[in-house]
Amino acid sequence: MTQAEIKLCSLLLQEHFGEIVEKIGTYLIRTGTQPLRMIVNDTGLLLDQVKKALCVLIQHNLVTYQLQKRGFVEYEAQCKRVLRILRYPRYIYTAKTLYNDTGELIVEELLLNGKMTMSAVVRKVADRLTETMEDGKTMDYTDVSNTFVRLADTHFVQRCPLIPETPETPDAPPPPAPILVINEKDMYVVPRLNLIGKGKRRRSCDEEENGEHKAKKQKQDGESSEPPPDDGIYWQVNIDRFHQHFRDQGIVSAVANRMDQTSSEIVRTMLRMSEVTTSSSAPYTQPLSSNEIFRSLPAGYNIVKQVLDQYLTLLADDPLEFVGKSGDSGGGMYTVNLHKALASLATATLESIVEERFGSRCARIFRLLLRKKHLEQKQVEDFAMIPAKEAKDMLYKMLSENVVSLQEIPKTPDHAPSRTFYLYTVNILSSARMLLHRCYKSVANLIERRQYETKENKRLLEKSQRVEAILASMQATGAEDAQLQEIEEMITVPERQQLENLKRNVNKIDASENQVDETIFVLESFIESTMKKP
Amino acid sequence: MILNLFSSSPRIIELCHQFPHGITDQVIQNDMPHMEAQQRAMAINRLLSMGQLDLLRSNAGLLYRIKESQNASKMKGSDNQEKLVYQIIEDAGNKGIWSRDIRYKSNLPLTEINKILKNLESKKLIKAVKSVAASKKKVYMLYNLQPDRSVTGGAWYSDQDFESEFVEVLNQQCFKFLQSKAEAARESKQNPMIQRNSSFASSHEVWKYICELGISKVELSMEDIETILNTLIYDGKVEMTIIAAKEGTVGSVDGQMKLYRAVSPLIQPTGLVRTPCGLCPVFDDCHEGGEISPSNCIYMTEWLEF
Repeated sequence: MTQAEIKLCSLLLQEHFGEIVEKIGTYLIRTGTQPLRMIVNDTGLLLDQVKKALCVLIQHNLVTYQLQKRGFVEYEAQCKRVLRILRYPRYIYTAKTLYNDTGELIVEELLLNGKMTMSAVVRKVADRLTETMEDGKTMDYTDVSNTFVRLADTHFVQRCPLIPETPETPDAPPPPAPILVINEKDMYVVPRLNLIGKGKRRRSCDEEENGEHKAKKQKQDGESSEPPPDDGIYWQVNIDRFHQHFRDQGIVSAVANRMDQTSSEIVRTMLRMSEVTTSSSAPYTQPLSSNEIFRSLPAGYNIVKQVLDQYLTLLADDPLEFVGKSGDSGGGMYTVNLHKALASLATATLESIVEERFGSRCARIFRLLLRKKHLEQKQVEDFAMIPAKEAKDMLYKMLSENVVSLQEIPKTPDHAPSRTFYLYTVNILSSARMLLHRCYKSVANLIERRQYETKENKRLLEKSQRVEAILASMQATGAEDAQLQEIEEMITVPERQQLENLKRNVNKIDASENQVDETIFVLESFIESTMKKP
Repeated sequence: MILNLFSSSPRIIELCHQFPHGITDQVIQNDMPHMEAQQRAMAINRLLSMGQLDLLRSNAGLLYRIKESQNASKMKGSDNQEKLVYQIIEDAGNKGIWSRDIRYKSNLPLTEINKILKNLESKKLIKAVKSVAASKKKVYMLYNLQPDRSVTGGAWYSDQDFESEFVEVLNQQCFKFLQSKAEAARESKQNPMIQRNSSFASSHEVWKYICELGISKVELSMEDIETILNTLIYDGKVEMTIIAAKEGTVGSVDGQMKLYRAVSPLIQPTGLVRTPCGLCPVFDDCHEGGEISPSNCIYMTEWLEF
């Protein structure tokens, strides 16, 4: 784990879970696998605190445990998983676009709580949705459960591993750490629940009589203390599936930019058909016949089969090589070349970074080197049609930033500089790694800046919060407008301006954190796909 | 014997005229069998010093060739060394030859070479051309020869200066042409195959367009246009395919044709470059608690006020 990654992880843990969890999480990331005793000793916290913190981390899948041979349990932090916390807003937003507010809230609840039973999720989401609806309307449990089932069917949520139900001999002591297993087939099976009910609205203090009524009802519910039917079946968010979705989105938008809308729709259809059949790390999707694609096109697109065939041929012949033709049966078998698509997206990202940082002429040299692999300085000048002095300057600048590298080919055994060829080259994998590291550090910087801005204006924020609380209480007790006005004027206009600025800045920094996270996603997927390829 | 010399020299010249490619010693011997080797050598040496014969080496041995008459007259005033240097420069053709190379080939000392070169230049027999590759180097070639492209740089160089504005203008013109062609193809809304094929332009078409535009003072060849189009490819604005074309069609070279098409970039500018950290020049020095830190970063402050 690089320093930048560790820093980012600790910042994320601190923001989301607090100081103690952050301390233990950072310690585990830095030192690897440790047993409980060591954690307590080295961090200097109380055993109780450490236990609770570890519970929180395990609940959120950030720490895993393993039973060692000697009989004690060791804990290991998953650094990559901690970095995913940055991506939570993107997951929630995707769920919103696919499954509306209900889906958004389900995914949000699951992300915030780590693991939950289905009935608990449904109840909470229904309550939250009811609050936002108009008076008198409530959210039905069945709607929420339906959305939940759909999420499970498309593999966006999955079951957590369970304790195996092996018949234990009563004499054998239970193992110190249970080993959780999950059957592949059961991962997305939704238990049959009869969730009947409606969301409850949290009444405001005005409706007193209803409040009493509510208190009674709550007592009633509390009395029926039977455990929900799906106790022990916990659900978590399937992060890999979301990643697959982001990757598909990236590919489709790239095709739309390079070709036209119809081609991108065709590619989207192909990817949708391969969602559940192809594993996320495969380099190619399964071959799809043109007839199947024609049948699965969305209803709005009424293009003729011949036109579809033409589009497919065009896609297969395009220099982008996103789609390949793998056979002729069934009207032509086509696959989407996922590895190549990820590589093209990563290369385009690298090119855009070089262009913004160094200028468009440097970008020209960069693309030239990508194409021709190795070139001498003279050849670079000739191909790129850039005057010799400027080309030299740019190459040295990029070399100092390690975007391009030199390959020495000596003519004589003594490697004399005057008798050696020096070839410039670009290594995509190492450049991607370097830029990824830079992204991590940038996000850490942005988070720090945001915290700094908030800290600077802490006094002002506290004041505005107090004023709001006073206003709310006064409104509840029925004060006049004049009094409310007076209270509001406690915050002067420049202070109000400052608050506005602060809000705007924090939002801006938040948005840019998400944007950098998009770059992180592309680069990480590319590196992962390249490393896995045999 | 002296009579023999005077009579044998014209005979040798006649033989040379008979075989304009050159004659070997063997041929002379066959023709005049009564002459001894020594006499033969003296005759030939005399002709050589008079400048009427050329001495060449081939794998069969030594060849003697008649020299052109006009050259013989030019060199009347010069001595042997100058003639040697002149010959070396002539052999270099239109690529020219560097003074150090002349020294190697003629084995003459540097001072002599310089004197001779100055002499020849003043007689307007040779000229010096500055090479575009290394600006300090001067290559020498015959006065009336046109320097080769590799020395002057061809159409992109005017007086040893790379004309970057000219290249830029050509760049933009070519790109506009291809872009408008792609636009027209997209508007036509026919079936996708035809649309794509009509958005392509062959290098010949682009060449004709640029010639008709008349923005270039120098005559541009199709290869020049292709180098310009290649730079557009490296800019990521244009893509190229090669198709097989019939030999007779216009613009095809060796049975292939290069087609170019304007394309739009694959992705929008990526997230990292939208933050100050992505473009920060002091990124490596920045850490919390230091001189440069995220809390007091001036780039961030400016960016937030934007």
